[in-house]
Amino acid sequence: MGMIYLMLIVSLCIAGFFLLFFLWATKNGQFDDDYTPSVRMLFEDEPKLKDE
Amino acid sequence: MMNTCYHCGEELPSPAVHFDAKEFCCQGCSNVYALLNTNALKDFYQFEKTPGIKPKKGRSDKFQFLDIPEIRARFVQYEDDHIVRICLSLPSIHCTSCIFLLENLPKINPHVRSSQVHFAKKEATIVFKKEGFQLSELAELLQFIGYEPDFGRKSESKGTKKSFLLKIGLAGFAFGSIMLWSAPDYFGITLDNLSFRNFTAYLSFLVSLPVFFYSANEYYISAYKALRSRSINLDVPITLGILALYAQSTYHIFTQQGPGYMDSFAGFIFFLLIGKWFQNRTYQSLSFDRDYTSYFPVAIHRVTATGSEIIPIEHLQKGQRIFVRNEEIIPCDCLLHSEEAQIDYSFVTGESELITKRKGEIIYAGGKLMGMSIELEVKSETNRSHLTQLWNETKDKKEANGFVRYQDRISRYFLIILILVALVSGIVWSFLDPSKIMTVIVSILIVACPCALALSSPFTLGNALSVLGKNGLYLKNTNIVEALDEISTVVFDKTGTLTDPSAYHLNYSNPDLAVDEWRILKELSSHSTHPLSKLIFTNLFATSTGIILESFKEWKGKGIEGKVNGSTYLLGSASFTKVNSSTQQNGTVYFSKDGQLIQEIHFTSAFRNEIPSILTQLHDKKKYVLSGDDQKDLETLVSLGFQAENCFFHQEPKDKALFIEKLQASGEKVLMLGDGLNDVGALGTAEVGIALSEDMFRFTPSSDAILNAQHLNLLPSYFKVSNYAKRVLKICLGFSITYNLIGLSFAISAALSPIVAAILMPISSITVVFLSSTLIHIKYWKQL
Repeated sequence: MGMIYLMLIVSLCIAGFFLLFFLWATKNGQFDDDYTPSVRMLFEDEPKLKDE
Repeated sequence: MMNTCYHCGEELPSPAVHFDAKEFCCQGCSNVYALLNTNALKDFYQFEKTPGIKPKKGRSDKFQFLDIPEIRARFVQYEDDHIVRICLSLPSIHCTSCIFLLENLPKINPHVRSSQVHFAKKEATIVFKKEGFQLSELAELLQFIGYEPDFGRKSESKGTKKSFLLKIGLAGFAFGSIMLWSAPDYFGITLDNLSFRNFTAYLSFLVSLPVFFYSANEYYISAYKALRSRSINLDVPITLGILALYAQSTYHIFTQQGPGYMDSFAGFIFFLLIGKWFQNRTYQSLSFDRDYTSYFPVAIHRVTATGSEIIPIEHLQKGQRIFVRNEEIIPCDCLLHSEEAQIDYSFVTGESELITKRKGEIIYAGGKLMGMSIELEVKSETNRSHLTQLWNETKDKKEANGFVRYQDRISRYFLIILILVALVSGIVWSFLDPSKIMTVIVSILIVACPCALALSSPFTLGNALSVLGKNGLYLKNTNIVEALDEISTVVFDKTGTLTDPSAYHLNYSNPDLAVDEWRILKELSSHSTHPLSKLIFTNLFATSTGIILESFKEWKGKGIEGKVNGSTYLLGSASFTKVNSSTQQNGTVYFSKDGQLIQEIHFTSAFRNEIPSILTQLHDKKKYVLSGDDQKDLETLVSLGFQAENCFFHQEPKDKALFIEKLQASGEKVLMLGDGLNDVGALGTAEVGIALSEDMFRFTPSSDAILNAQHLNLLPSYFKVSNYAKRVLKICLGFSITYNLIGLSFAISAALSPIVAAILMPISSITVVFLSSTLIHIKYWKQL
């Protein structure tokens, strides 16, 4: 039976981790703009100079 | 294939500008191309065809005001010794290539450190080095490549949206966690292990605390406000349910009777908040509540003893002298000190003809100066001018005449029935088993909590809002969908709304002009940017004129002079061409050869083609026209389908608002359709005020909705959508009340258990959401 307490705590910790991750992402502005990043990733990168 | 400009896609004039084996419509476009080319940003032309925006020509010192510390500080977000960060609204952002170009700004100008575009808001956050670079230079650069910043728009704070997401996140976390460890309890597994049961119960209590105190707080506040103003909205029964749910569960937990309904509680809040989030998704790049400050310039030129200085518009004082230049907006009511001025009041009155003012006359704020710079004396400050007074007066009226949402209207009955049911069952149970009275009453309050009811309205109306948006009508919020359904009277503004501001009938007094002279007329008008000469140019056929002008000169706001084969041709106003015409009037352009009048061109505004069909489709509604003009168009209006007694002329802005109030007093629900600032009062007074706009991101007067003028023909269909949405709303309400009745039957028989609540609540909510979304989207999945 002791196992189930441990499982409970672990499940709470995992859920708590995701909650914190979500809070961090929100504060960090990850949900501010849901369109532009999807376009931005399609732009070509700069061609690297060969003689470096 | 039509020949279009490689940069902006506009039709090519002859001769076109050639550069790098490509054709451009003007020097501006080719300059931008050259700039992009030298900075290896050719990709700009890869994403979309002709993505560019024709750069507007601006005065070089147009943005000088940005370097005044006081004004600069208003826009700068962050500043230290090395860098400055600023967020600018760029209304011309429209495609993928725009994002590419703007985010590569550092390559074009090394002073710019970084640039990030927010497409939905049409904003760019730009960081630039402080040393050797001014804010005004940044604005000039943006204007040069076609993205002129709009300094009148204020960015809304993101704070509310963020805290809302936090609330949803917390509620979702609590909902999932509590459900997970309540699962054994649902099946009675924990009954033989009380210590585990109590442990999970205390844990649930702990996790639900932030949900109760933080996530759900909006509902308490809204319910409290409603009760204080002696009215009832849907948040009152919701709050009642939340409190009953939470109190009951807490009591159970601390008397060690089990985990209570904490799972249902958290889930309930989670679903409600999602509904609210869905309802609040509106159009980020449109602003409906513009105040007058966004229409007027930020700064103006003041005349001082030593010359002139730039001051913020708020610092204007009565009696000061100011200086207004071509195409600038008159910032306040003034006295004209210069000899003559041509003012374009098209946005204020809807009248596109220029108005001529003479020395000593009063010029009201809001007009745009066309032509030579003028000097003015301030008669009253901007916030006291004729225009802004009107604007502010009507602002508060709308809130006072209070619109009651359908869901709030039924919640009153809902609450009365709820209390009756609770009382009756309480009395009945006092005979059966008095120990269960409390349980039954609390259970009734819990299951009656109108979760599905609260969700049906945001989802149904939110879906209707997006359907309307797809078809060119952008609503401020979901309440307008309901208000639209109740409209019984439609009031139209005439100029700019019924008439098409870009379409004119041109009447030529002399249709038998020699072919060469027609060509000269077309050639002359092609060189001017004046709206009337543009109209002449597009109205005349002949693709290439083949005329070579020996000389050409344009007098701003007056006319054009050109020499061909030794003859002097003049095109412009009567005073400019110095002709004696019997029909001297506004809206006429004169064309003369060596002082001899050879052509008069009359402009009359053309009504939009779709008006008659709109009017026949609106047969069940009363239709009125309010016009600031004289009666000259009455016959045309009647032929379009209006009744002569419903057309009113010489209507001042204030009269329009009063007229709508009169209609409302006789019990009509009014929709006002207007386009200019002269309609601001009427738009604010009417139940639904729709601003018609040719260009969605240009300035529109504050209104409940913005309608893209291209979609005006859909106006009758919008009423149908709102009517259908209302029917769907009623169906959903029927469903959710059925669920409530099922729950009630459990509660009255004292058989409500956490598992029943945990199943019933999500199922009812999900059916309602599913039902409302599918019913609306199946019917309107394609364009109207």
